[in-house]
Amino acid sequence: MKLRLHKKYKLWLLITVFVALILGLTLGSVGFAPKELFSIVSHKLFGASLNDTIKPIHVSILWTIRFPRALMAFLVGACLAASGTVMQSVLRNPLASSYTLGVSSGASLLAAFVIVSGFSIPMIGRYTLPLMGFLGGLGTVFLAIAISVRFSKTLENHTIILVGMVLSLFVNALLTVITSLSHERLSHLVFWQMGSFQGQTWTNISITSPVLLFGLAVFFYYSREMDLMTFGEEQALSSGVDAPKVKFVLLTVSALLTGISVSFVGIIGFIDLIAPHIVRRFFGSNHRMVVPLSALLGGGFMVVCDLVSRTIISPQELPIGAVTALIGAPFFAYLYFHKGNKHA
Amino acid sequence: MLEINQLAAGYGEKEVLHNISFLFEGGQNYCILGPNGCGKTTLIRAMAGLIPFKGSVLINGQPLDKMKRREIAKHIAVLSQINDLYFPYSVYDTVMMGRYQHQKSRLFTTSSVQDAQMVEQCLEMVDLTNERDTLINELSGGQRQRVFLAQVLAQDPKIILLDEPSNHLDVRFQIELIEHLKAWSQNSHRIVISVFHDINLALHLTDNVLYMKEGKIPRSGKFSEVTDRPFLHWLYEADLKDYMLSSLALWKEVPDALSQPL
Repeated sequence: MKLRLHKKYKLWLLITVFVALILGLTLGSVGFAPKELFSIVSHKLFGASLNDTIKPIHVSILWTIRFPRALMAFLVGACLAASGTVMQSVLRNPLASSYTLGVSSGASLLAAFVIVSGFSIPMIGRYTLPLMGFLGGLGTVFLAIAISVRFSKTLENHTIILVGMVLSLFVNALLTVITSLSHERLSHLVFWQMGSFQGQTWTNISITSPVLLFGLAVFFYYSREMDLMTFGEEQALSSGVDAPKVKFVLLTVSALLTGISVSFVGIIGFIDLIAPHIVRRFFGSNHRMVVPLSALLGGGFMVVCDLVSRTIISPQELPIGAVTALIGAPFFAYLYFHKGNKHA
Repeated sequence: MLEINQLAAGYGEKEVLHNISFLFEGGQNYCILGPNGCGKTTLIRAMAGLIPFKGSVLINGQPLDKMKRREIAKHIAVLSQINDLYFPYSVYDTVMMGRYQHQKSRLFTTSSVQDAQMVEQCLEMVDLTNERDTLINELSGGQRQRVFLAQVLAQDPKIILLDEPSNHLDVRFQIELIEHLKAWSQNSHRIVISVFHDINLALHLTDNVLYMKEGKIPRSGKFSEVTDRPFLHWLYEADLKDYMLSSLALWKEVPDALSQPL
């Protein structure tokens, strides 16, 4: 079987993601025609006059609710997928993700602390919860790496994964204790853990997008190192890669991307697992290709999942974490195991 | 020139190599022989700086532990066993990865013409030009081994360390591998150090041998000068059969066999 990097697949991916974004923006309790969408965007960005049929409330719905939500879904999907790609490659484990190293557990623990205690940092107010979630997630990964270094100076993969999983279980146990002692806040806590894109703002986007761009730049910079590291630590070292240093940087930045996502929208699984696998299936393993395309696919897929979560039983919403798995699992199985769709 | 002095290395608390010293000279091939668990692979890994070690490893007088990884990779390449391929690359891309330490640009520049030429040459050497676009996880074990050999050759190092390089290779490619390595070291005054299990095969590559046992080198030198049947029996703790030592017979015990017509 020969590897062919299908340009037409790249084009299809771009078109699909673009269509997903348009659908994410236009469909919902208040629907917009593409023409109206274009008019409102032109009005907001360039001061063009609005179509007569568009009411101010529609502008407000699209610009302050729908846009931040759809864009945030895209950014979070992209962050999780890029992070998952890197974790799988660096740890040489097709099932690895930032969650393996305890990002979600750490984030949940500190988020639970904020929710249960009502703790708030005066200067940042409602951003206390995402900030603490972010710090918890990132802190857990740093702790996992610090403990791993004590056992293995070269940061061997199996040590990191084992330490991450043990730490994750331990932190989960603490979370269970907190949860069991705080019945009155239980629903809030559970809701946060299930993930949601409700209430996203432009501020969230202005925080998340530079982090995503920074992460993608770092991943692109280290793409050749990642290629070599998929063959194993020793192969990378003997080819000239400072594997422990590169691994530390990549794990940290991956945790940063996952941490920022978890902090704003709660815990959303599955995308970080499937997006890289699907992209590798169609475009090969070269990280210069896999990382950005995984981010693109993850972003588009998350927009679709969010659309389903808020429309399928409207006005109620399904937890986004459940939707990603409900749609993603059969979709992944179809793409991955359907013989006719093999990339080569 | 590669010099090791009082080299000691191991895993955790367990020391596998015990104060080994040796001088490997340019333009020469060497094979390391010994029973399982004697420290052959550990010696290869320590000489490449892949595991921590005590003592010193000097490449042309420069201490290995003071060099950066990229610099070490310009001097030493290692061909080891890679069994787990989680994410497949094409044969061409895999061999091109051997050029990593020669490529300066990090972001937008693709491989240079020189890199591409080197990769083409290496693919030709291992007879995989026609498989350049094939994914490596779809190759046989022997073909894969040749891909990684091509990657090591593309690295263009001064010293190649090989850990059981003939594994998975059929007879034709075992012979070709050895011929490639001989030509490679002799034409450019470089060093090939290989770990072999098969004494006969090792002797097709070189008659410079290092015998290892229990983390030490009890004997080293020209095969014909340092090898005899009692020593091999002691080394391997086994009564070796004649057919396992056909090279020994050719080299030492029946020297006339070399001059007899076929």
